[in-house]
Amino acid sequence: MFKVYRKLFAYVPEKRYMIFISVFLSVVSTFAIAGAYYYLYLFFDRLLVRGDFAGSGFYAWVIFGLLIGGNFVYFIGVLSSHVLGFRLETNLRKRGIDGLSKASFRFFDLNSSGRIRKIIDDNASQTHTIVAHLLPDIANALAKPFLLLIISYMVSLRVGICLTVLAVAAVLLYAAMSGDTRFMKYYQQALERLSSETVEYVRGIQVVKIFNADAKSFKALYEAVRDYSKFALKYSMSCKIPWVLIQWVMFSIVAILVPFIVLLPGVFSRGPEAALELLMLMFLSGVMFSTIMKVMYVVMYSFNGAMAVDKLEEMYGHMGEDSLDHGTRESFDSFDIEFDHVTFSYGEKPVLRDVSFTLKENRSYALVGSSGSGKSTIAKLMSGFYRVDEGAVKIGGHPLEEYSERAVLENIAFVFQDVKLFKSSIYENVAMANRTAGREQVMEAFKKAGCDTILDKFPERENTLIGSKGVYLSGGEKQRIGIARAILKDARIVIMDEASAAVDPENEHELQKAFAQLMKNKTVIMIAHRLTSVRSVDEILVIEKGRVIEQGSDKELMAKDSRYRFFQNLYAQANDWRVNKYA
Amino acid sequence: MRKWLEKKFALTPQGAKDTMKAILASFLVSLSAYAPACLLLLVIDDFVMGNHRPSYFYVILSAATALVILVLMFIEYDSMYNTTYRESANLRMEIANRLNRLPLSYFSKHDTSDVTQTIMSDVEAIEHAMSHSISKFVAFLFSFPIIAIMLIGYNWKLGLTVILPILLGYSLVLLSKKVQIRTSKKYFLQLRKNSESFQEAIENAQEIRSFGLGRTLRRKLDAQMDESEKLHLRSEITSAVPLLSSNIVMQLSLALVILLGMNMLIKGEISVLVLTAYIVAALKVKESVDSISENVAELYHLDARIRRISDIRNNPVQEGRDEEIKDYSISLRDVTFSYSSDSPVLKGVTFDAKQGQVTALVGVSGCGKTSILRLISRLYDYDEGSITVGGKDIKEISTDSLFKNVSIVFQDVMLFNTSVMENIRLGRRDATDDEVIEAARLGGCHDFISRLPEGYNTKIGENGATLSGGERQRISIARAFLKDAPVIILDEIAAALDVENEKKIQDSLNRLMEGRTVIIISHRLKSVEHVDSIVVINDGRVEASGSHRELLKTSPTYGRLVENALLTENFTY
Repeated sequence: MFKVYRKLFAYVPEKRYMIFISVFLSVVSTFAIAGAYYYLYLFFDRLLVRGDFAGSGFYAWVIFGLLIGGNFVYFIGVLSSHVLGFRLETNLRKRGIDGLSKASFRFFDLNSSGRIRKIIDDNASQTHTIVAHLLPDIANALAKPFLLLIISYMVSLRVGICLTVLAVAAVLLYAAMSGDTRFMKYYQQALERLSSETVEYVRGIQVVKIFNADAKSFKALYEAVRDYSKFALKYSMSCKIPWVLIQWVMFSIVAILVPFIVLLPGVFSRGPEAALELLMLMFLSGVMFSTIMKVMYVVMYSFNGAMAVDKLEEMYGHMGEDSLDHGTRESFDSFDIEFDHVTFSYGEKPVLRDVSFTLKENRSYALVGSSGSGKSTIAKLMSGFYRVDEGAVKIGGHPLEEYSERAVLENIAFVFQDVKLFKSSIYENVAMANRTAGREQVMEAFKKAGCDTILDKFPERENTLIGSKGVYLSGGEKQRIGIARAILKDARIVIMDEASAAVDPENEHELQKAFAQLMKNKTVIMIAHRLTSVRSVDEILVIEKGRVIEQGSDKELMAKDSRYRFFQNLYAQANDWRVNKYA
Repeated sequence: MRKWLEKKFALTPQGAKDTMKAILASFLVSLSAYAPACLLLLVIDDFVMGNHRPSYFYVILSAATALVILVLMFIEYDSMYNTTYRESANLRMEIANRLNRLPLSYFSKHDTSDVTQTIMSDVEAIEHAMSHSISKFVAFLFSFPIIAIMLIGYNWKLGLTVILPILLGYSLVLLSKKVQIRTSKKYFLQLRKNSESFQEAIENAQEIRSFGLGRTLRRKLDAQMDESEKLHLRSEITSAVPLLSSNIVMQLSLALVILLGMNMLIKGEISVLVLTAYIVAALKVKESVDSISENVAELYHLDARIRRISDIRNNPVQEGRDEEIKDYSISLRDVTFSYSSDSPVLKGVTFDAKQGQVTALVGVSGCGKTSILRLISRLYDYDEGSITVGGKDIKEISTDSLFKNVSIVFQDVMLFNTSVMENIRLGRRDATDDEVIEAARLGGCHDFISRLPEGYNTKIGENGATLSGGERQRISIARAFLKDAPVIILDEIAAALDVENEKKIQDSLNRLMEGRTVIIISHRLKSVEHVDSIVVINDGRVEASGSHRELLKTSPTYGRLVENALLTENFTY
């Protein structure tokens, strides 16, 4: 438990004094409240045993004062732990932001954006609860049982022993309730199965309806539901006896003890002292039980807290993995690109195997191959997104890692199919590509990328805010804005993917023209989907199963029995296909 | 009472009945909890005041008290925890049942993960509340007044001294909830803003990196975090102050009873016993209020979840008669439709798809053609106008009789985590293995299925995760072959993503469409040039319809589309 806290507090060095304030105040408040109990005892002692009523007003005020004071101090303690907890949450998030800005792209590939956000959001806020609420509670829960025991021994040895026995019994019974870990495992499994069956059921309802299928998936769900409730019931039954016993002892301690008192006159005197002892025992045992229950909660929640921190730290750890190294080289000798025996994988299975080829400066290249062949990966490796597993990606004769980050950023531009826009104005979305560019240059980039027709759609034109109501841009339109960005950036190497054209056909021609503008006088690598359009590029690389199998101009490749020619023919057929040919 | 429970906590009738039993048990337990205190008072009466009673009196009374409490607690445990799990099972099945009868449009409008969430965690929350809070809280609502009346009835001055501060304190708690809701609203808005910023930062990671925006972004987000920390603290403090004052007010009860009681004792109005009794009562009542307030907090958080369950329950289920459909022509008349109330997608669409003919819908993206297919498939329900199949309105016939006659092949294919065989057999449940394989052959998937490790018996993972897009598409075509329905609704897959796959899919499609009534969306104009009728959709309306040749003369949109397609096709970089 303390390990969790040590881990957490490492994130809030600037507010560490708050820990001590909070713990100190909580302990003080516990003392005050215990003091109130003690004064209550003194009061009853006077009232019942000594029959001395004078000065009892004093006791009333002391009890009231201690209770109020205790509560107030506790409140301040909770407040300071909240300040600490909130800062912790903020710092954990900031750490996440820091990690995100440095994370490798492989990290983003392996984790969906929703999942990353959810992990940071959920766990960071969970840790704040642990600190804000549980820190004072822990201090409280640890100090209170001892103080209660001390008071009980001050009342009398008998009360002290009784309370000690009760406390030990309660701890043992609680332990008996959470003892059987096997049950928990089965229970967890049943819960997981229920969860996955539910997902499958809900997801499948549409299909099931459309196909008039019977309720087979329903039956699977039914079984999962039944199993889960069976296990839950079993678990609950296993807790029944300890739980009821604890509650029973706590509620009826007086009824349990009275027979002993009246039947064993040798041990207990039938006088006011015994009545007082019984009264105090009833009162102290009630407080003791609820305190022990609180300790159990504290243990459980710090366990959750440990999991939350672990999850965050695991993810922050992954963020740092595989991130790229940058060197100090600021300029490129040439813009020739070379893959030197490159092997690369996103996860287990290699996507590229021992790929080697050379691309010359100021020429245009097209990558051709079926989906999953590895052509997008080649494009991404050229952009310096990933660290290769083996071999090297070289530009101007030097591995990419030798160049500074700035040099790589400024000299390589890419437009991929999923262009992302920021929630700011369209103008700002393009201007960010080159901060030194003036307004005319930005507007010129819009024009060259064929964005005028996009701007015409909105009354505010380039000042239109992305993401505001009624502002919808299709995939092809977004990509055109991405092209405007790349034109403004004016990098020597341009890498591009024309795929979104396929889902946005009426924008495709506009897009083609924009791409053509971008390619002027650059070293160009494009991922081609519409095979007719690449026939005039300088060279074509055919990628299959992670290897470059052919390289050459359209003329050269068409002249022989190449895979490229096969693709071109297939494409022509597919393109020529008609519905209802038979008619 | 049972109806109230059913509605208030979204329980099943059986669950509400069980909960009433649990409430009764809890009620008796909470009353019996005062019995030992009464016993203690008798002891004090004896030991301190000198009103002696024989030992057997105490033994019998104690034994009876302890026994009654023990029995009641066992009953309470059974009625609370055990019925809970029965109820959670019933509730889950009831929701699942209900979902099965909801119109398809419900699932189009709701995120499936939200619906799953309802069956899983919302029911779990209710489960927890049932076993911990509902019965205890309701029982308290009954037992507290009884105790209060007894305390006030015996001695109104002391009784009120015990009860009033508790009531006052409790109303402060309620007040704090109101304050909290108000102050935390601002904080929640900030939280949502934070979430959006985070999402943007993650989604746009590529852009951020490649334009060197990391530092700017970090500064912006850090500032946002600091701001929300401040808001959070402020909202927490404003809602904590009433809680603190409530606690102080409640503590008053004990102090005032002692002060007032001593005064009365000295004046001789009450005895030591009565004073002790009221002090004990003050302690006990405070104890029970403390434990109840945790339960109340839980019930407070339950509201939103209960609303989600009620939402599923109150959604009208799909009605409609079972009808024999013999004529398969489809007509749309002045159909209007919108996904959200302020922006209509279809503004009055009228056309006919004749039996045995192929009708193609074309238009720029966003014109509404996909929405039309969704309406005919009843994934959504149209707002006005009418859609009929064989002269019968599709809203009036049952989905069973509609889908018996319609095959739908869309871009997003839903697959289950079973074998390929079973996934295809979904098309017609009573099909033999041979029939399934024949359909797979026709759908062009026999080759790749044979290459799978266990052939047709290979399990394909959650939603067919192990298959490629083209393969999934072909499985859905095989399903349609197996189903052999007279009407086919077809959303042609995005062209040219993968030439090899596309060619195979095209071949299968032509076989599938033969001799049936087909409505198709094509993303490549050329492919539908020869169909019987082309309907040009523009801005939610039908601009023109007819054959390819007619439309070239009559429809400017069609002309533009054709021209654009030609330019695209002949373009080279």
